[in-house]
Amino acid sequence: MSGLLEVSNVVAGYGDGPAILDGANLSVQPGKVHCIIGPNGAGKSTLLKTIVGMLKIRQGSVTFKGASLKGKRPDQILRRGICFVPQERALFPKMTVRENLRMGGFSLADKSNLEKRIDEIEERFPILGERRDQHAGTMSGGQQQTLAMARTLILKPEIVMLDEPSLGLAPKIVKEVFSIMRLMADEGITILLVEQNAMMGLKHADWGVVLDLGRTLFEGPAAEVLTDPRIQELYLGGKKAA
Amino acid sequence: MAEVIQILILGMALGGVYALMGSGLSLVFGVMRIVNLAHPVLIMAGAYVAYWAARLYGIDPLLTLPIAAVILAATGVILYKLVFEREARSAKYSEMTVLLTFALAMVLEGALGTAFTNTQRVTSPDYATDAFFIGDIFIPKGQLYAGIVSLAIISALALFLKYSRFGYAIRATTQNREAAELLGVNVNLVGLVSFAIGIGLAGAAGSLVSFVFSFFPAKHWEWIAVLMSLVVLGGMGSIFGTVLASFILAVVAAFIGAYFGATWSTLTFFVALFVVLLVRPQGIFGEKPELA
Repeated sequence: MSGLLEVSNVVAGYGDGPAILDGANLSVQPGKVHCIIGPNGAGKSTLLKTIVGMLKIRQGSVTFKGASLKGKRPDQILRRGICFVPQERALFPKMTVRENLRMGGFSLADKSNLEKRIDEIEERFPILGERRDQHAGTMSGGQQQTLAMARTLILKPEIVMLDEPSLGLAPKIVKEVFSIMRLMADEGITILLVEQNAMMGLKHADWGVVLDLGRTLFEGPAAEVLTDPRIQELYLGGKKAA
Repeated sequence: MAEVIQILILGMALGGVYALMGSGLSLVFGVMRIVNLAHPVLIMAGAYVAYWAARLYGIDPLLTLPIAAVILAATGVILYKLVFEREARSAKYSEMTVLLTFALAMVLEGALGTAFTNTQRVTSPDYATDAFFIGDIFIPKGQLYAGIVSLAIISALALFLKYSRFGYAIRATTQNREAAELLGVNVNLVGLVSFAIGIGLAGAAGSLVSFVFSFFPAKHWEWIAVLMSLVVLGGMGSIFGTVLASFILAVVAAFIGAYFGATWSTLTFFVALFVVLLVRPQGIFGEKPELA
């Protein structure tokens, strides 16, 4: 079955440097949470950056709803409904929370409903409403992550790609971040998650993808990936999933 | 007391002009990370536009200001396309631009020198040598008008950056280029337009400089340290910081000039640059530099 987003034999890397992705494949099914795991340097973040147009596709193809994304700029890909929250959360530290949310709607052609949408986001995430006039750079890591994820909802995207949303956050905050992700998925948004904490990521995912040396090694239902002995041995330190 | 107020007023009026001279430099660094050592020579170019418009057609430099701004902004577009765009994504871009703009400054100085010679020039509208008097205190009209116009332009720039869609894009790109791109901002266009605005501000400042100071092509070397001290004290990339620093240093320089002699007033900027780089290199509003 053809996925919402198809990555086929993609080769990509940074600038003129060596290829980090070396034949990566991925089939993203609508409405599911997909978690990409793999060791450091496997190409997980590179894959997301390639899909979103930040890195050039040297070989292979990326298609969204059957249309090629090859050669498209990030702003063009965003307008098709694919949002990306990178590891650094991509906030504007000296803009207020409200201004950051406004930037989330920058690419909207019709901005007549933007303020209303922002109001809705603030209602759903009260902490953002409470801190609307606060500079984003002065908020805690968890609040910043909430803002970064909530900001994607302004565009009502079809796919949200999250690159290590738990990075640098306390366990309690990580739970909140994953609950926001689940909330997004329950609304029908397809999630593509890269997570260094593989156990945590797979527990919250429907589908697991294992990447190593820029290639897709294995994929399947997240529960199966989580208990697969090869994966346990290779990437999860040989521990049994709880 | 009257003497102190007098010095304060003179310092504040000059601070307004410095603010406009430095704000374009700050904008260009903030958005594009270009350390533009050619900014002062581009101010000189703006001053020549005003000078020749006044000399040939009798146009007041305040009226020439928008023309100088547009001519220099167009020059900025050409320079950006020719010199700066190609390597804009290089990791060492800022370092490269120091050398690039240094070379550019020399080329432009040579071109201005060839075209206009190194003779000292100044435009002389009537108000440039007139003053308002409030009791014993005098306010030179030229400096006052230049200061007011500078602040009006900077206020317009601030409103544009704060409320317009493109202003949002510029601020976003300044703070996080990658994030701005991910949210749909065409950062290449933002870079080009910001550079053009920055150089346009140099042109506008040049019109004001033309009747506040005498000028000649090689004078831009004197201005580099002055403008750098404003931008560094304010925080590289912070326009508000540059404006604040302009008033602070202009007033301090005015007091030093009044009490220790004009020769020492210029030293204020050099000392400020030196001390800020030693004590607080990020300036008042800049980001703390990361250790590589």
